[in-house]
Amino acid sequence: MPNALELTGIRKSFDGFAALTDAHFEARWGEVHALLGENGAGKSSLMNIAAGLYAPEAGQMLVDDNVVRFAGPADAARHRIGMVHQHFKLVRPFTVAENILLTAPPPADFQSHGERLRGISRDIRNKASELGFEIDPARRIDALSIAEQQRVEILKVLLAGARILILDEPTAVLTDHEAARLLQTVRGLARTGSAVVLVTHKMADVKTYADRVTVMRGGRTIATLEPGATPVAELVKLTVGESISVQGFQPAKSPRGAVRLTVRGLRSAASAHGRRVLDGVDLQLHAGEIYGLAGVGGNGQGELAGAIMGLPDGGSSLEGEIRLEGHGDLKAMAAPERRNVGIAAIPADRYGLALAGSLSVAENFAIGRVHTGRYGPAWHLRQGRIQEDTQEAVRAFDVQGVRSVAQKAALLSGGNAQKLVLAREFGKSPSLVLAHSPSRGLDVRASAEVHARLRAARDGGAAVLLISEDLDEVLQLADRVGVMTRGRIAGEFAQPADRQVIGQAMVDHG
Amino acid sequence: MADASLAAVAQPAQCDPDAAQRARRQPLAGRRYALEIRQHMGWQRQALILAIAFLVGLAISAAILVAAGVPADELANEFVMQTFFDGQNFRAVLFQAAPMILVGLAGSLAFRARFWNLGLEGQMVWGAIGATAVSMWQVGPETLRLPLMFAAAIGCGLAWVLGPAWLKIRLGVNEIISTLMLNYMAANFLLHLVYGSWKDPKDNFPYSPQFRAFERLPELGAGVSSAILLAAVVALLAWWLVGVSRAGLYLRFVDANPRVAHANGVPVRRTIYGAVLLSGAMAGLAGFAVASGQEGRLTQAFYQGYGFSGILIAFLARNNPLAATVVALLVAALFVTGRSLQVFYQVPFSMVQLIQAIIVVCVAASDFFIRHRLRRVGAEAAS
Repeated sequence: MPNALELTGIRKSFDGFAALTDAHFEARWGEVHALLGENGAGKSSLMNIAAGLYAPEAGQMLVDDNVVRFAGPADAARHRIGMVHQHFKLVRPFTVAENILLTAPPPADFQSHGERLRGISRDIRNKASELGFEIDPARRIDALSIAEQQRVEILKVLLAGARILILDEPTAVLTDHEAARLLQTVRGLARTGSAVVLVTHKMADVKTYADRVTVMRGGRTIATLEPGATPVAELVKLTVGESISVQGFQPAKSPRGAVRLTVRGLRSAASAHGRRVLDGVDLQLHAGEIYGLAGVGGNGQGELAGAIMGLPDGGSSLEGEIRLEGHGDLKAMAAPERRNVGIAAIPADRYGLALAGSLSVAENFAIGRVHTGRYGPAWHLRQGRIQEDTQEAVRAFDVQGVRSVAQKAALLSGGNAQKLVLAREFGKSPSLVLAHSPSRGLDVRASAEVHARLRAARDGGAAVLLISEDLDEVLQLADRVGVMTRGRIAGEFAQPADRQVIGQAMVDHG
Repeated sequence: MADASLAAVAQPAQCDPDAAQRARRQPLAGRRYALEIRQHMGWQRQALILAIAFLVGLAISAAILVAAGVPADELANEFVMQTFFDGQNFRAVLFQAAPMILVGLAGSLAFRARFWNLGLEGQMVWGAIGATAVSMWQVGPETLRLPLMFAAAIGCGLAWVLGPAWLKIRLGVNEIISTLMLNYMAANFLLHLVYGSWKDPKDNFPYSPQFRAFERLPELGAGVSSAILLAAVVALLAWWLVGVSRAGLYLRFVDANPRVAHANGVPVRRTIYGAVLLSGAMAGLAGFAVASGQEGRLTQAFYQGYGFSGILIAFLARNNPLAATVVALLVAALFVTGRSLQVFYQVPFSMVQLIQAIIVVCVAASDFFIRHRLRRVGAEAAS
């Protein structure tokens, strides 16, 4: 029997960063094939290539044992490949039928729009009942739950004729019950001869529903296995890599101090179907320690960071408390005040939250301290002092590539932009440091420098909250490790922690 | 993954080897060029490109004017010599420029806070109504009358934009719609006044009674109204605000990225309120400058065209207050020239608006050359 889909030797890089170096993948007709790996392992990139969204730089792609090249997703659809993305591609004010009509192949003979809508509605109802659920084609997308929207996406690719179905993290947004239903539907599709690729990081889904599993790590394919014959511990090990954790871990020089930050029962507002992004976060952070919060992305880390920084979105709808010792509940404080009480933030989204790329290096540096009056009174900015301070900080934090402090911050490379953020945030000794994926996208040397700064902040008495999806980073830096899943802290571990155990806790959703 | 796909969109030439090939296959003017996104350009070259675009706009305008029957050799004379080097005409330009500068500054300031204040005309109308009310009701002693009219104009202009600002910041209501619609309310209320209770009893024309001498902006001598001085002072204040003060830095961050601004402790809401209310106040002052500096009374259509001109001035000046002053002078010169063309060559006044539009389109299109670069692919193949 031929392979439905085969990719060999795929290479792809983005702006100099190699996302895929040597990736292989094959899926047979009639199987559910899981693609397993951590965030950034390259799973989605590889599948986006299979779906025609990206063009590979090297490698070969075969559908039904024929070599293919896709100019775009429409090409892939002609080869009967359909992908359901993690973030749905639906037009929210349109109805189910209208959305599906957008991608449906055009009819052979002329039909009016009304006829086509009626035809597609009939097809939608038939296909849905075939798959074992009901859906009203006349409902608008924004009136549907997430699980229903996902069904629309699946119907969309099936009605466009897909026989190779790629689902990118389909269960990430679903409740356990919804996820089980979806995966049963998917198994049913495979039984009728389709090939289903399940991109996931959840061991349980792989064990229960996949016929075979391919593990990826760091842009490479590590192995293809039968999940039934492989113990979970083996899969976890393949996914997160060999244990190199204790290397580089440097415990704090002095014992940790008093409690600095207490987060208790932090919950965000419930969405329409009762899911909360933050669902009762409890943690305590001491002075002079680095608390590493590990977890698969999208489990509430960004929202927790936003809640501590005081970002406007959702800030007012939080329940619970975030108490900074000596300053009371942070929720009552506006973002500028939080800066004044010594909170330094290194957000994950560098140009979305930390730096204004179109403004100069000096302006980006000065904004951190301008409200203290260091750069003159409100009616006069002392440009000279801003430039001196910036030049000094650029030197002290070794920010490379700054020809002039008047140049735009967007011209700095990722590592140097991050160093500029550090220079600003660590300029005044902070009492609480929030670092979210601080070395994401940085090379080894820049990462090491960022890590050294975080350790120095800790040894200087700051409480450091390190939120990272990179388990290596957490294990190297943290004095204590917490694991975040589904909007709460699922477990805490003392260092040196067992990498396998933490890796297991990250993927358990029990 | 979101980052990666963004990179793929933003820099197709770098990550897609096919793109370069495709570009090579598309010959342009007999040679092969590739189009690239340009990350950065020095301000001198930006200024040069803007100047060239401006000149291209003028050339197209000149061609249209010639086609409309203005002798080609008279054009330079009309536009440059008559306008700037004839004393009387230059005074007319300054006369016209004062409210123009004020609305240009009002536009620049609001746009810097990412607030699309299309209600400049409505705020102007209210500024003039406020000033006229002080005159009608004879508020305060004679010596204080002018300062009171000034203050009333500021207050009324500011109040007229307060609603849209609040709606936008609190409830996310689109300010383009709200400010634009409020223009019609202001204009109709103005008609209600000048056709109704404020109609001049002397001759029953739809305008308010003539302001008294001490209610009019004084002449500086040589026929130049002090309105231009007022505009110049406001321009300097605006320049100081955006270029020297701390609020200017806050505004730049709000303009560049409101989320970054918020996360870095910029009081985003207060900054937006401040800029927008000042914008309304300046537009109100423009109304005062027309009523008290030009017309000497409240008339029914004094505001027409200023809203569009204010937006145009702010756009051409890239929201820079000093540049806005210069551009406002040029636009005023265009108005004055347009009027004399109307008289001498029977060119309709709408031609002035056409010329404005052509220049805006040219300058807007020049942005393409600032953000992109055409590179000869052959050169790359050789290197």
